[in-house]
Amino acid sequence: MNDKMIIAGREFSSRLFIGTGKFASNRIMSDAIEASGSEMVTVALRRVNIEDSSDDMLSAIMRENVQLLPNTSGARDAKEAVRLAKIARAASGIEWVKLEVTPDPYYLLPDPVETLEAAKELVDEGFIVLPYINADPVLAKKLEDAGCATVMPLAAPIGSNKGIKTRDSIKIIISQASVPVVVDAGLGLPSHAADAMEMGADAVLVNTAIAVCDKPSEMAQAFAKSVEAGRQGYLAGPGCVSETANASSPLTGFLRD
Amino acid sequence: MQIRVNGKDMNFSDNSAPATVKELIDHLGIDSAAVVAEVDGEIVEKRNFENTKIKDSQKIELIRFVGGG
Repeated sequence: MNDKMIIAGREFSSRLFIGTGKFASNRIMSDAIEASGSEMVTVALRRVNIEDSSDDMLSAIMRENVQLLPNTSGARDAKEAVRLAKIARAASGIEWVKLEVTPDPYYLLPDPVETLEAAKELVDEGFIVLPYINADPVLAKKLEDAGCATVMPLAAPIGSNKGIKTRDSIKIIISQASVPVVVDAGLGLPSHAADAMEMGADAVLVNTAIAVCDKPSEMAQAFAKSVEAGRQGYLAGPGCVSETANASSPLTGFLRD
Repeated sequence: MQIRVNGKDMNFSDNSAPATVKELIDHLGIDSAAVVAEVDGEIVEKRNFENTKIKDSQKIELIRFVGGG
């Protein structure tokens, strides 16, 4: 299936984005990224541990075909998010940023007002902005109008593995969007990813479901297959849903009097 | 000289104090290639580590990429 997605002028063959948090080791993470075939991989920024600064995880991620996507996780408002994005750019030279503004650590739901404010500023600063949002169609349009490269509505709270709990709103976002829609957060199983892709999402972002399962590489591969299957199903144009039966076999010529 | 690095106070005698961001990073045994610094809220890019002087009472953040979603 030759079906490329383009974000900010860059072509992606894989529609599975992978997060790198919570893996038991760099080796396990690296193997999972490889198995997934992902071309978009998120990373976070934190203070160096001055007592133990030996951990270099970037080399375990970097591949020729992988776009590194620094996030602004930990930002509680627009100001902190912009600061983190600028630090990420200074550290890596990368202008892509997954914009996250989550003031409440209990549910980690994104702040729509601060997200929009930060998005506008970052777009002005030349960043390619991929904002993480609640599944809010009005906000999604505003972010698109502000120049964001995608919108990334959540399926369920981060790390919850609950699947798509925001279905109707995500459908509206997909129907209205003219930038790629990436379903992010809450997908816990490959079937959830297939579901999102069948709905017409352009991509999905998965971290926890892969990182904390028993066999991350196998789960990564399972997600990759599901994303591809879901996309193909969407492109094939599903038939209508009906309240009553519609016979698949002819209703004539029965072998009875 | 006293500086605050990543939220922790560090004290140096005058003759052992790191003069630049680069010297501080080396002193801490950190691979400077993987790090970005902020001095009093201003981002210092890697290429400027060597010529960015450290002064008493400054707040310095040393930041790098970690796993995240």
